Amino acid sequence: MSDDIVALQSQGIKPAARNIKEGLMTSLWFFCAAFAVVIVFFILVFLLYNGYPVFSTIGLSAFLFGDTWDPSGFPPLYGIFPLIVDTLLVMALAMLIAIPLGVASAIYISELAHKKVKSVVKPAVELLAGIPSVVFGFFGLVVLTDLLRVTFDVPSGECWLAGSILLGVMALPTIVSVSEDAISSVPKEFREGSLATGATKWQTISRVVVPAAISGITAAIILGIGRAIGETMAVLMVTGNAAVIPSPIWNVLSPVRTLTATLGIEMGEVSVGSLHYSALFGIAVVLLVITLTINLVAYKILGKIRSGQTGMGVGGRRYLSHETADSLKKYGIYVVTVIALLFVFIAAGLVVGLVCVLAVFLWFILRQKLNPRQVQYAAFALLWAAIGLVLFILGCIIADIVINGLPAISWEFLTSPPTDLGREGGIAPAIVGTFYLVIGAILIALPLGIGAAIYLNEYTREGRVTRTIRAGVDLLNGTPSIVFGLFGFAFLVLYLKFGVSLLAGQVTLALMVLPTMIRTAEESLKNVPMSVREGSLALGATKWQTVRSVVLPPAVPGIITGTILSIGRVAGETAPILFTAVVFSSRTLPTSEFEPVMALPYHLYILSTNVPGASLNQYGTALVLLVLVIGLYLVAIIVRRHYHMKIHW
Amino acid sequence: MTEHNDIIQVDHLNLWYGDSIALRDVTMGMPDRQVTALIGPSGCGKSTLIRCLNRMNDLVDICRIQGAVNFHNKNIYANDVDPVEIRRKIGMVFQRPNPFPKTVYENVAYGPRVHGVEDRKQLDAIVEKSLRSAALWDEVKDRLHDSAMGLSGGQQQRLCIARTLAVEPEVILMDEPCSALDPIAAAKIESLIEELKTEYSVVIVTHNMQQASRVSDHTGFMYMGELVEFGTTRQIFEKPHETLTENYITGRFG
Repeated sequence: MSDDIVALQSQGIKPAARNIKEGLMTSLWFFCAAFAVVIVFFILVFLLYNGYPVFSTIGLSAFLFGDTWDPSGFPPLYGIFPLIVDTLLVMALAMLIAIPLGVASAIYISELAHKKVKSVVKPAVELLAGIPSVVFGFFGLVVLTDLLRVTFDVPSGECWLAGSILLGVMALPTIVSVSEDAISSVPKEFREGSLATGATKWQTISRVVVPAAISGITAAIILGIGRAIGETMAVLMVTGNAAVIPSPIWNVLSPVRTLTATLGIEMGEVSVGSLHYSALFGIAVVLLVITLTINLVAYKILGKIRSGQTGMGVGGRRYLSHETADSLKKYGIYVVTVIALLFVFIAAGLVVGLVCVLAVFLWFILRQKLNPRQVQYAAFALLWAAIGLVLFILGCIIADIVINGLPAISWEFLTSPPTDLGREGGIAPAIVGTFYLVIGAILIALPLGIGAAIYLNEYTREGRVTRTIRAGVDLLNGTPSIVFGLFGFAFLVLYLKFGVSLLAGQVTLALMVLPTMIRTAEESLKNVPMSVREGSLALGATKWQTVRSVVLPPAVPGIITGTILSIGRVAGETAPILFTAVVFSSRTLPTSEFEPVMALPYHLYILSTNVPGASLNQYGTALVLLVLVIGLYLVAIIVRRHYHMKIHW
Repeated sequence: MTEHNDIIQVDHLNLWYGDSIALRDVTMGMPDRQVTALIGPSGCGKSTLIRCLNRMNDLVDICRIQGAVNFHNKNIYANDVDPVEIRRKIGMVFQRPNPFPKTVYENVAYGPRVHGVEDRKQLDAIVEKSLRSAALWDEVKDRLHDSAMGLSGGQQQRLCIARTLAVEPEVILMDEPCSALDPIAAAKIESLIEELKTEYSVVIVTHNMQQASRVSDHTGFMYMGELVEFGTTRQIFEKPHETLTENYITGRFG
């Protein structure tokens, strides 16, 4: 017995050595976590540094409010006001589509869907998030714009409406999943309390559940807006890209050009160091400020929910007496309805306007006449219609690409290089290039992400440091992918002299997925119960021993899920590699990290926008990309579900 | 016992959660305008049974029911019965106070509103009456428009009772209404139950035998999903017929 104790002691490391090791580990994790903040800072500095000349030469207000964007004119004009207006217009209409559909789908999934239906519908909506934006853009370009052109009998379907429809669909998964989280986390006691007073299910949903979840739903909408504003490739491909304010302003069939699209189009052709170059960085700064503000607001709201201070509609100071608030609410509805109707009249003309007035009128009459049960039928029918529409859209996109893409797929297509600008031949170098980009990006982002998560979750208490780091991660997460592309170009390609290369692309992509990595790793660490750590620490294990042997192992499935999702994202992204890593047609593979590569999303982008007559290979490329990315998402969903079932704490 | 008709009759009720049986062949009657208590050790099925009485178990996906629960001699599980209508007439107060995240006023007005009462004056009257009946009016009349979340646990529970009263049900089901409260708050609820039975029929689930003996007129003792014994409270606590009941009452298990 006593021999055992002696043996144990002699095997133990000396306290001093142990302390050094622990200290090293702590600083290593701190470094990983601080990296995110440093990067945000770097991005800001580099964008400002490169954008500064345009602010100093033409002045901030002339830049922001100048009404013409014409960098190639004489003299060149750099007023981004039309771009800002277009960006807001596209976003607003997209939200008009996405918010009702998204919130209704979230309510359906959380409250109505049967367990089995839910287990299919929820991943399906998440899959929508997995479709690369260039595939959305491709679908929009070949199907949606054509549909609009024929429907409205206009010369071109590339317009504001097309961009908004696409963006609306793309923002859906964000809105659905965040709202659904908020709605399902409303305690079931509220539902029971309401039902026990004889309220119908719909009354319970509309009067108790949704109001209780309103902050989460708001945050979801704001995040959706952020996503819509930051999106590049899809809008670029379908909006026609004329830097004009629609005339009249409600002409949804007018071509428009967003801030992001301007960067995507012009960055590749601009001469480095020119005023135009600087103006593009100026745009990136504006874009970043907009998206960062939006995201900060959203995370503030979500953070409040997390820390349980949510007002849920009451509490806090009351500025109005309840009678005033009551009548405000009552008349507010009428006022909003009238304004909305006026807007419809102006925007859509007399006929549509009259139809809407009639519909509203009918609704107000019916509301008095219908009993709660009938209202519930009507409401549920609308919810079903919403989720049905979402699934129908998803089905259409996938079916179109699969049906048209399958004939292109052959062994040769997958294994040979392109010829005739990609009209003939295959896409093998693009597949391999994407593979290289993914491997490199994940190898960089994974260790940094896990390290940062370990620091945030295991090594510190919540305080100013973690708040700063978290804010950095959130900001990085909200940064539009095209801004990463610009940063990669200015910093990696030019400043560090990597050139347009595989390495520059890998690093840029790694930065882009870093926040996802940190978030998912942190979530999985958080799910490990405190008691497990206490158990280990109580046995005399050090912090790092505890983390390594009892905290990390159960967190692995979650980290794997996060990694797979990141791989999908990296494989599908176009904007960050547009100026940092890719070349359109190359018959050979890169031989070193400093050569450019082909990549699937970029190949699809060029084929569908710049190469006429490559229809078959376009669809083939889109299909390969879609299968690759959606396959990865499916694997992630399966891994997640598998472990959720297996791990019971 | 005979002067009161049974407002609810449970008739050979069996209930399963998935494959496991939770209630076995329960048959009993809840007399009108009386307090009926259900007692028994944890997991005996008393909460399950009370949740059957206004079809709250409908919310549990894997729940399956056989037998009948008759309310005014009509089976509430019949196909043509709307559970919403049943719940309006048979209200429920839950184990933990569950006020909505709204004001005190809005909590009480919630039920009437969902049933179509829009008139402000009428609502004001209902709110005041319900809060008075729940012995809460004097404590909250000056903060009707503050969040209900700011009330104490006991006040929240009485608010939930007021919320139930506001829709004027015939029966009030209470599922361990005092178990999350301190003794003083619990005593207030108990004296409230005493007053309520002049107008309402009350069914209360409790694991507290003293509480059952204080507030109820009739008591059912449940064990392992079965109703072991049902009778007047006095009989159950003073002369139980079954040894199992006696063992439980005298604290030999449970």
